[in-house]
Amino acid sequence: MTGRHEEPRQPTADEATPRIGLDHAIGRLLIFGTYAAVAILTVGVIAMAANGLGPGDPAPAFDPARLGADILALRPDGLLWLGLLAVIATPIGRVVVSLVGYAHRRELSMVAVAAAILGVIALSIILAITLES
Amino acid sequence: MEAGLIMLGGGLAGVVGSLLGLGGGILIVPLLTLGFGLDVRTAVGVSLVCVIITSGAAAGVYLERHVANLRLGMTLELFTALGALAGGLIAFAIDEALIAGLFAVMLVYAAVSMMRRGPTETAPATELPTTHEEPRVEGWSSRLSGEGYEVRRVGTGAVGSVGAGVVSALLGVGGGLVKVPVMHLVMGVPLRVATATSNLMIGITATASASIYLFRGEIDAYFAGTIGIGVFLGATLGSRLAHRVPIAVLRLLFVVVLLYSALQMVLLALERAP
Repeated sequence: MTGRHEEPRQPTADEATPRIGLDHAIGRLLIFGTYAAVAILTVGVIAMAANGLGPGDPAPAFDPARLGADILALRPDGLLWLGLLAVIATPIGRVVVSLVGYAHRRELSMVAVAAAILGVIALSIILAITLES
Repeated sequence: MEAGLIMLGGGLAGVVGSLLGLGGGILIVPLLTLGFGLDVRTAVGVSLVCVIITSGAAAGVYLERHVANLRLGMTLELFTALGALAGGLIAFAIDEALIAGLFAVMLVYAAVSMMRRGPTETAPATELPTTHEEPRVEGWSSRLSGEGYEVRRVGTGAVGSVGAGVVSALLGVGGGLVKVPVMHLVMGVPLRVATATSNLMIGITATASASIYLFRGEIDAYFAGTIGIGVFLGATLGSRLAHRVPIAVLRLLFVVVLLYSALQMVLLALERAP
């Protein structure tokens, strides 16, 4: 006995390492993004309650033009929208990181898939803005 | 007071959804419409935010543990996102009463699936890869396959994913009720991998439609922020309670809640019908 333990499920293929690395990086991003978004939302809800506001009160419409000023002034509306945007941005960030990761590995088919997903998201935003106006 | 009740309701939805592998979305729309009088479309917008939150951290853990299949998830979510885009646009073109009616149908489907121990139950950790009767697959299929299983019928899976995206956008749910059976039964993906990959796909699917609801003014920030925190805490708690709760009893209770909610949604649809 040498005391040396064999790993039962070591990756055998060379490609296993970068694939697992990308999975891990994206997993970390999703966890961090979600926790950060919920933390911002929590601050926003506390600010909302501190200002005597709550669900059922007339809710502020999403206004990108006012967002920066509302956040800097720590208004509940700005903090809540920042948190909600962080929620929506987290999966988008995951696709961006995937695109970069697959591009680095020259997996052009997956780069195309990631780019197409971002295109669909962009299209949905453009259509929503167009239809609303 | 109301904020506390909404957070508590979201927490319960998160706990139950997490324990039964459904996500909290399926309970949030009935909670907000029947419990707090929100418009159906606004409730759907808020629910979409919640399902992104609940799927995010769980999907991250699934990826780190190499249970979710990233390539498969990204390929199929291109189609769920397209479906969600279409569904998001349809949601603003049809009557709210129709959305409520469709939601009732989905609740009944979910209840029946649960009674039959359907696709919503998470497979045991020791599950072996499914056996394959199909001939060996090439091209995209082989690229999307994982350790111990081969993905097949990618085209059919893509069509099913478009359907899942439409359902998600119209009804404010993650769409796992469609995606998991498509991946597992049609594409030959082991149940555990299908569940984890479906969870991964929810984020982008819901983001495509949530963007439409956001820019069309159908996300209520006060409701979304409050219930989002509750659902997140509930889902986190649920994942820790998974081995301590009698799932069979919970499932039975959940079926009753689903059927009762379905009845109430039908009544709401009739009440708001033009």
